[in-house]
Amino acid sequence: MASPRCDTSSRRSAADVTDRRLGWLLLAPALLLLGGLTVYPAIWVIWLSLQYRVPVFGIARWAGAAHYAFLTVDSRFWNAAGVTALFTVASVALESILGLAMALALRGQQRGRRVAVALLLLAWALPSVVTAKMFEWLYHPSGGLVNFLLGGRAVNWLGDPALALPSLVLADVWRTTPFVALLCYARLLTIPAELYEAAEVDGAAGVQAFARITWPLVRPILLVALLFRTLDALRAFDIMFVLTGGGPAGSTETLTVYAYRALFQTLQIGFGSAIGVVVFVLVMLVAWAYLRLINRQEAAA
Amino acid sequence: MAPRPARAALLVAGLLLALLAAGCGQGPSGAGPITLVFKHAKILGPADPVPGLLRRFEAEHPGVRVQSEALTWSSDEQHQFYVINLEGGSPPFDVMMLDVIWVPEFARAGWILDLTAQVPPAECDAHFASAIEPATQDGRLWALPWFMNVGLLYYRKDLLAKYGLAPPETYDELARQVRLIQAGERDPRLDGYLWQGKQYEGGMVNVLEALWANGTRVIDERGRPFPEPERAREALAALRGLIESGVSPPWVTAADEELTRRPFGDGRAIFLRGWPYALDLFELPDSRVRQRVGVAPMPRLAHGPVGAASTGGAHLAVSARTRHPALAVELVRFLTSDVAQRAMTEGAALRPSRPALYHDAQLIARDPTLPALLPLILRGHPRPITPYYLMLSTTLQPEFSAVLVGRKSPARAVQDGIAQVRHLEQALGR
Repeated sequence: MASPRCDTSSRRSAADVTDRRLGWLLLAPALLLLGGLTVYPAIWVIWLSLQYRVPVFGIARWAGAAHYAFLTVDSRFWNAAGVTALFTVASVALESILGLAMALALRGQQRGRRVAVALLLLAWALPSVVTAKMFEWLYHPSGGLVNFLLGGRAVNWLGDPALALPSLVLADVWRTTPFVALLCYARLLTIPAELYEAAEVDGAAGVQAFARITWPLVRPILLVALLFRTLDALRAFDIMFVLTGGGPAGSTETLTVYAYRALFQTLQIGFGSAIGVVVFVLVMLVAWAYLRLINRQEAAA
Repeated sequence: MAPRPARAALLVAGLLLALLAAGCGQGPSGAGPITLVFKHAKILGPADPVPGLLRRFEAEHPGVRVQSEALTWSSDEQHQFYVINLEGGSPPFDVMMLDVIWVPEFARAGWILDLTAQVPPAECDAHFASAIEPATQDGRLWALPWFMNVGLLYYRKDLLAKYGLAPPETYDELARQVRLIQAGERDPRLDGYLWQGKQYEGGMVNVLEALWANGTRVIDERGRPFPEPERAREALAALRGLIESGVSPPWVTAADEELTRRPFGDGRAIFLRGWPYALDLFELPDSRVRQRVGVAPMPRLAHGPVGAASTGGAHLAVSARTRHPALAVELVRFLTSDVAQRAMTEGAALRPSRPALYHDAQLIARDPTLPALLPLILRGHPRPITPYYLMLSTTLQPEFSAVLVGRKSPARAVQDGIAQVRHLEQALGR
């Protein structure tokens, strides 16, 4: 005869099984929805990328890896990949540094915090196309505010291939730094003041308090913000599309802009899908790397 | 006054009748109203004449209702909308507004109906040849022109008169005039010649105009790219030269229509390449250049007999998936008719595609620019008429842009352009 203790544990495991079943059952609608909305289209795009498909000209035949082979030697593709990488690294780095600084400044602020938060939200709440249109006029070489503030110099922000990408990075930083700032600020508000008071008693203040208390506590949330921002930046489209159309001389053409041109402007469905798949794989890899980093941090904590 | 029960009975009877009527309208046995869906960009301008025209068409065709559905004003987005909907096979529409450069592509894709049999030749002849030509493929007509556009050289009448100059016929002359006027005015904020050099369709148009101005083309009848490479190189070098010499400010390499129209409208440039819509804006009561703007044909380069501006504009076509082809064709013919184009010219300040209207005294009274525009439109040039035009344009735009910003030599860009177009042809199996 089983001891009462064994009995309870077996009963508990039976309950576990039914719980797990119920869990799957409850998850099923979400999984089906996700499957239908993301997995199925993703597989469809991969399928398309293996074909020559230009519906306008009635072209629909198997291509195998031909599109991918061409991409390896396509200078426009490599240029777009480089632009995407540069844009992502530069904009995400600036956004996280500025965002954290803003959050710290907000916490230190005595009055008008609400107004400041509302103003921050404004930039983030504007649709990106509106932001882009606004920057188009700000950057206008002869009538724009930026050049006016620089003392009437005629800097050719968007028309000079060396300046166009940095100009777009700035516009993106302006728009999305508030997102990083607000996430960090929310985390800062949850750090109990006693921690700092205790640190002060121990003689740690300023830089030391930041390094020992603030930074370790903010880092996880900052990583999450970075994850979101990196994935967004890798798929950046609106800002370049509106401000430069990928120019001048392709100096701001990201992978998604190139994919858009192939897919919707020239209707090369197969080739455009191949570029789309590359972006997809890239995004997945980066997301995976970030998630690993976040998990490892959590484990360490 | 009827007693209460009687009134209630009347009410019930009325309701029943109303229900019956509604039932008949929806029932399969009744000949319900036919609805035509008309997709078009929102018509800007003082008064949108489209609703009035559609009501008029409905009055002439009892039992037909035309539902007008607006598209965005951005040409790229319109194209994207059509491609997704026509290729994806979702909600049908009957009549659609097309940018002139898409007509061959849509015809080739089988998305629009062949109108050849329904439109008498005389009706085609009433439109500008440069508007009918791009709507024709293999001798068949696929769309009718709705309104017309043409590239113009805007100039400051007052400034040219002050220095005793006539509008320039060549780019060299234009450059000399800019230097003369800039030296005389001593205004560092006065730019010379503004045009659109951004990497987009408008930039492509500006380059095509330079190629034509030098007596060459981007692609010949047999689809060969840059049939006269030397002349193409010269044309590209001339455009780059405008920037290097300071005749045009460097920022034209990122400029589209509006970015150039505004400084000119603020009186801060001597010349502008633009479309006719800007004329109306320059003549608004609060405009700083009101009555100081003239229009001239685009200038030419060394090998061009005359300068040539690109034509543009919108066409109307019938979707291949319409369930009422005869009525849809009727609607297209009505909207492109003399009467309708008159209303479009009066209400929306769009330029008609029928030359006869440019001589019409009544219309000229409403739009005094018409007589000056006629010769310019007659000299206009359609962009390459091929189903591959958009592919050609998006493929070459980065090459041209690279020349304009000085990243590539004209020779290199032409060479790379030829290679790119060849690759495209291979991918298309041509």
